[in-house]
Amino acid sequence: MARKRITAALALPVVSLALLFSADIPFLAGSALAETVPQPIAFSHKIHVTDYKLNCRFCHSSTNKSQYANIPSVEKCMMCHRSIATDKPEVKKVAQYWNEKKPIPWNKVIDVPNHVYFPHKKMVNAGIPCLTCHPGMDQAGTAVQTLEFGMGMCMECHRKKKVTIDCWKCHY
Amino acid sequence: MLDRRQFLKLGGATAFATLFGGCDKVQSRLIPFVIPPENYTLGEALWYASVCGQCPAGCGVVVRVSEGRAKKVEGNPLHPVNRGKLCARGQAALQALYHPERLSRPMKLSGARGSGSYTPVSWEEALSLLMGPLKKVKAEAPGSLLMLTEPMRGHAGLVAGRFMKAFGSKHRVAWDPFGPDAMLAANAAVYGVRDLPEHDLANARYLLSFSGDFLETGISPVHYAREYGRMRGDRETIRGKFVHFGPRLSMTAAAADLFLPCAPGTEGIVALGIAHVMVRDRLTAASSAAGRLSDDLGAYSPEEVEKKTGVRARDIAAAAEEFSRNQPGLAIAGTGAATGPDGAFHCAAVALLNVLAGNVGKPGGVSFPNRAQAFAKYGAEAALLAPSPESGYAGMRAALEKMRGGAFRMAILSGATNPAFTLPPPLKFNEALSKVPFVVAFTSFLDETTSLADLVLPVPTGLEAWGDDLAPVGHAGAVTLCQPVVEPFHDTRSMPDVLIATAKELGGEPAKALPWRSFKECLDKAYGGPGGEMEKALQRGGFFGESSSARPAARTGNAALQKAAERPIDGDPKAFPLALHLYPSITLYDGRGANLPWLQEMPDPISTAVWRNWVEVNPKTAAGLGLAEGDGVTVMSPSGKITAHVAFNPGIAPDVAAMPLGQGHTRYGKYANGRGENPITLLPARETYALQATRVALAKTKLSTTLARTAHPEGQWKVKNMM
Repeated sequence: MARKRITAALALPVVSLALLFSADIPFLAGSALAETVPQPIAFSHKIHVTDYKLNCRFCHSSTNKSQYANIPSVEKCMMCHRSIATDKPEVKKVAQYWNEKKPIPWNKVIDVPNHVYFPHKKMVNAGIPCLTCHPGMDQAGTAVQTLEFGMGMCMECHRKKKVTIDCWKCHY
Repeated sequence: MLDRRQFLKLGGATAFATLFGGCDKVQSRLIPFVIPPENYTLGEALWYASVCGQCPAGCGVVVRVSEGRAKKVEGNPLHPVNRGKLCARGQAALQALYHPERLSRPMKLSGARGSGSYTPVSWEEALSLLMGPLKKVKAEAPGSLLMLTEPMRGHAGLVAGRFMKAFGSKHRVAWDPFGPDAMLAANAAVYGVRDLPEHDLANARYLLSFSGDFLETGISPVHYAREYGRMRGDRETIRGKFVHFGPRLSMTAAAADLFLPCAPGTEGIVALGIAHVMVRDRLTAASSAAGRLSDDLGAYSPEEVEKKTGVRARDIAAAAEEFSRNQPGLAIAGTGAATGPDGAFHCAAVALLNVLAGNVGKPGGVSFPNRAQAFAKYGAEAALLAPSPESGYAGMRAALEKMRGGAFRMAILSGATNPAFTLPPPLKFNEALSKVPFVVAFTSFLDETTSLADLVLPVPTGLEAWGDDLAPVGHAGAVTLCQPVVEPFHDTRSMPDVLIATAKELGGEPAKALPWRSFKECLDKAYGGPGGEMEKALQRGGFFGESSSARPAARTGNAALQKAAERPIDGDPKAFPLALHLYPSITLYDGRGANLPWLQEMPDPISTAVWRNWVEVNPKTAAGLGLAEGDGVTVMSPSGKITAHVAFNPGIAPDVAAMPLGQGHTRYGKYANGRGENPITLLPARETYALQATRVALAKTKLSTTLARTAHPEGQWKVKNMM
């Protein structure tokens, strides 16, 4: 009886541990697939990219120089919004962050799975359009992730373009 | 009591809470900069060139900075001193930058002087607290201002020197416990040049080192280590031979082909023994030209030297013969020799060997490049920028006397040399400083000295400040530039900046002497400023075009031997049977590195001990005293006593006990305090800064601490095989 009790006592934590680890927590991370993630400012990609024809790299300027696509600094926003659309409520929020010298706490929307190295600069410098992996971003308000970044998606494109599919190229 | 159900609930809840708590830490926010740092690209590192300030060697560094944070310090490959290499102390500069105990705001004393209780104040208030007494001293007795710093080089030295002159005080003292006072005096006497020489190790065929632990500490360890490597392995058919004389098997001694132990403070006598044989047997052209043995040298026959030093006569004769036959050869005196009871004598005796070998000014020998030529434009003021702390120990002692006599009404302290920790207690530094009514300290950390101040002004670390530097050795006229590699983390102002602002406020002569708005402007004016040569030089790390005009040839012939002033060390050999050898720690140097955990946890290369200090004794001596490895002992000298743990070193002379310096802090923060006791408290006050100045006795003591070592001593030394 005593042994049974101990087994039972251990079972629940162990099972919950196993469950969580084996699942790699996709349901916890909350895939934002086509969902809108709440943001501190209702930034519109459509207005900037489609209506005003701004190049993505005007704001995400590190995409051709770095592994990461950067989020623009508040200073970058204010370069234009010191004089443009200053009466709009969302732009006023940006100005407030700037006046208080505080960063805008954006919520992360897009992520690649663990254990993979994805250098933006390689794709951008190879001439892959941003919308290939971020379709619909030009029509979106705040950022959305409409594709699931699985290995199949990468492989399909790499095969089509006859570029490396060597494991070590991405997993190291 | 918990029943089963409750237990299960609790267990499940705990597991869940643990896991979900961890899940929260997944990065979910993206926080951009408000204003990004200059040249910033997310995820891409930038390397900025600057100078290492962790010891006085002046190595060039490059610092990897990403997202505006310094991540790694490496050697600057273009820098002539270290050519891309850097030692552990240099790497640890990062920990000084991010140190949790760094002073972030000015502080004024809120309790009794020396109590260490301070209240933070704004810079405006701090500067008004500084200006009040300063103006009063300037008006009433300008000569009563004391400036006590570490040796300053480059334009920081110019600013400080001009400030003091214009203020009307000549009391500017530079203190560095391993400063080259003895070496400079010896070189002036033997070579006729009051400067540090370049030792061309790379081209030498034979090297005699006299307590010269040049691979670990010394004037420029990274430079010498690299040159030593070239001497050993860079030539097709020649591998330079290295013979080391010294009281203990140091890391440098362990690298030698032949290590010959001698008693501490007798290095110069060994050198004179070698010189004796060279002249007596006419082994080289220069020693033949020296003619017959002078009376002074005649007294140093190998047999006589053996009695005084413990080095066998035939080893001395063999070293003389080999040294003479394998030219070019070099003789180097190190910290152990320079800090003997008469350091200048020991250094001069060693320098004499270079003269007798005829190596002065030749490849593989000793030369004196005009390193400070870049500052020649300052004329008489050029000495303010050059690395020669003339005041040294003599200046320090004179200043202490004056402090005690009440001659100073105000003192400005700066630097990492911490005199309250590094001066022997009989000099009573603390008591003398307490006689100065107002003390200001420029520092990044509170230590034994700066915690005696009335007003503490925080300064940026070397990685956050502008500056320039002239390394003491390793180049022929290279000026290193120092730039902030990151935005200063705290509300700090550099000492030159504060002096410039203060001079402006004082008006009159000081304002005229320091006409710049900031220290950066002073440097811009000196080096051509942004857009000019300076910008390119900042990228490279400085001006390294070494077009040095060689000095007028140093005096080489007929060097008069200094009258040997062999000063006995303290202590009756019967009551105190062991000679004490104190040496700078490879990690903590003079103690300034003791507050950096990286350096504390780095094992000493010989004892492998970490986080504490120890006393090295020969296993045979220890057996005679009934001491085992790791035992606690009381180390007693006529001047004081401390406790430490025993570490066996079979490569130490049986009548010697050796201790590293640097531990034993009491007010240098949580990482430094209470890790053993300060061996300097065993020392008497002498006319020179003598670390090899006393005898000690050991007595077994029970200590509550243990000595942590990374290698098991039995496995390392096989003690029983050596007994």
